[in-house]
Amino acid sequence: MKKNNTPAQVDETEIAGNPSRRRFFQLAGGIAGAGMLVASCRRTPPSTTYVGAGDIGLLNYLYILKQVTVAMYTQAIATPYYSITLSETELQIDLRDQELVHREFLKKLLGRDAVKEITTNLSLITFADKKSFLTHASILEDLSVGAMNGAIQVMSSTDYMLTLSKICSVDARHAGYIREVWKHNTFADGTILDANGLDKAIAPSLGFATLENYIETKFDISKLPTF
Amino acid sequence: MNFKHILSEIEKSDPEVYEKLSDRRQALKGFGAKVAMVALPFAIGSMFKKAYGQTSKTVVDALNLALEFEYLEYTYYRQGNNTGGLISASDLPGFKAIEAQEKAHIDFLNKTITELGGIPFKPKNFTAATTVAPYVPAAYDFTKGGTYTPFSDYTTFLILAQIFEDTGLHALQGQMPELLSNNGVLQQAFRLQATEARHAAFVRLVRRLAPINAPETPAPWITNNIPPTIPLQPYYLGEDNVEHNRIITTTLPNIYYADGVMPKISATAAFDEPFDKTKVLSLIAGFKL
Repeated sequence: MKKNNTPAQVDETEIAGNPSRRRFFQLAGGIAGAGMLVASCRRTPPSTTYVGAGDIGLLNYLYILKQVTVAMYTQAIATPYYSITLSETELQIDLRDQELVHREFLKKLLGRDAVKEITTNLSLITFADKKSFLTHASILEDLSVGAMNGAIQVMSSTDYMLTLSKICSVDARHAGYIREVWKHNTFADGTILDANGLDKAIAPSLGFATLENYIETKFDISKLPTF
Repeated sequence: MNFKHILSEIEKSDPEVYEKLSDRRQALKGFGAKVAMVALPFAIGSMFKKAYGQTSKTVVDALNLALEFEYLEYTYYRQGNNTGGLISASDLPGFKAIEAQEKAHIDFLNKTITELGGIPFKPKNFTAATTVAPYVPAAYDFTKGGTYTPFSDYTTFLILAQIFEDTGLHALQGQMPELLSNNGVLQQAFRLQATEARHAAFVRLVRRLAPINAPETPAPWITNNIPPTIPLQPYYLGEDNVEHNRIITTTLPNIYYADGVMPKISATAAFDEPFDKTKVLSLIAGFKL
């Protein structure tokens, strides 16, 4: 199996870095929205994407998060930071592929309820700068862990909860690793753990607010379960 | 007696009653009509016992299994950290952090189990007179009858640390179904599991990068079911599962590969697997006295 990581082959969600396409999407959204204004009675602005209620909303929240992490690692591989090591390059490909597994898995689990492709906005991240990339990668990986720990608290399906358990621990491996790349021995320190040595659980509404720093698409999360 | 009425009343105080009873919400709503009136009380009794009555015993048992792993790991790391010259100076702060976090987990689990009315697990030979709790070296034989020399050889120390961390994670994963009746504890178990996963990633990364013999070049995550050494294969059997919620992860798309699908190493690494209690206890049995 040949690994192909040329910059030309970016994923469908990775259009944020291209200003002209981004502009196009903004315009398209405006035109589409004008039509929907007449057709729809929904209270929220018509240009927002509805994530759904209950477990569907929670899974879509995690699916959107995974779209962002895949986009981030894809870009990181295309434009690696200065001084990246061979091991770091290899593991970035692992990270992208595993996030892709999670993204595609959640998409399939959601079926027709999955939100459409979103437009990410990774302009906060300077990919050539190791510190910038790792800072944001760390925020997003720590968020993945906290988001899943938080989601299970308001989730109904025990099936989904047990599946998230298996995904969440892998995200915690990612989160620990990313912190190690920046600074050895910081995989789980006091900024993440409480006095009981437990990782974070982040309320979905709070987690979504962090996520919004990395996405262009506007979402309607009025029915997203939270605590 | 109106069974539907009972359920709807419960639903008012516990909106998740249907999910607790079963995922088949509609089937339950029609339940009353399909069960003979004489049988109904028994049917209801067993259903509710399943949903609500199991709380303490199974939750306590599950937490006690987690506690057993925490004692083993804490004792292992404390002994390693206090063995001069064993752990490289650059990795020592990480292992000391793990030691401290395992101790916090022991305290936390002891407290939680006691609050639930249970009796916390104690390792063998745990006595106030001979032990500086929770350090219980008299409970373990980390050489596994002379097979390993973890406290005189860093390579071996790291290999055993890796299998203890990964197996501890598999054990926790396996106990999650037992915690579903108590959402608060379930969430704490998830958070505990995340910390353990960070430990596992650290140990595996140290093995990857340290100038030691790690022929399989471990990643921070488990790829397929690859063990650190052949005799340790049993610790990873089943880790290469590719089916979750009836979705086969090796069929998911990945445009970065020539065949367009997910390579198995990533499809399997993206999920940690639950191991049942009997299995995980058998995997650590050789390290207990």
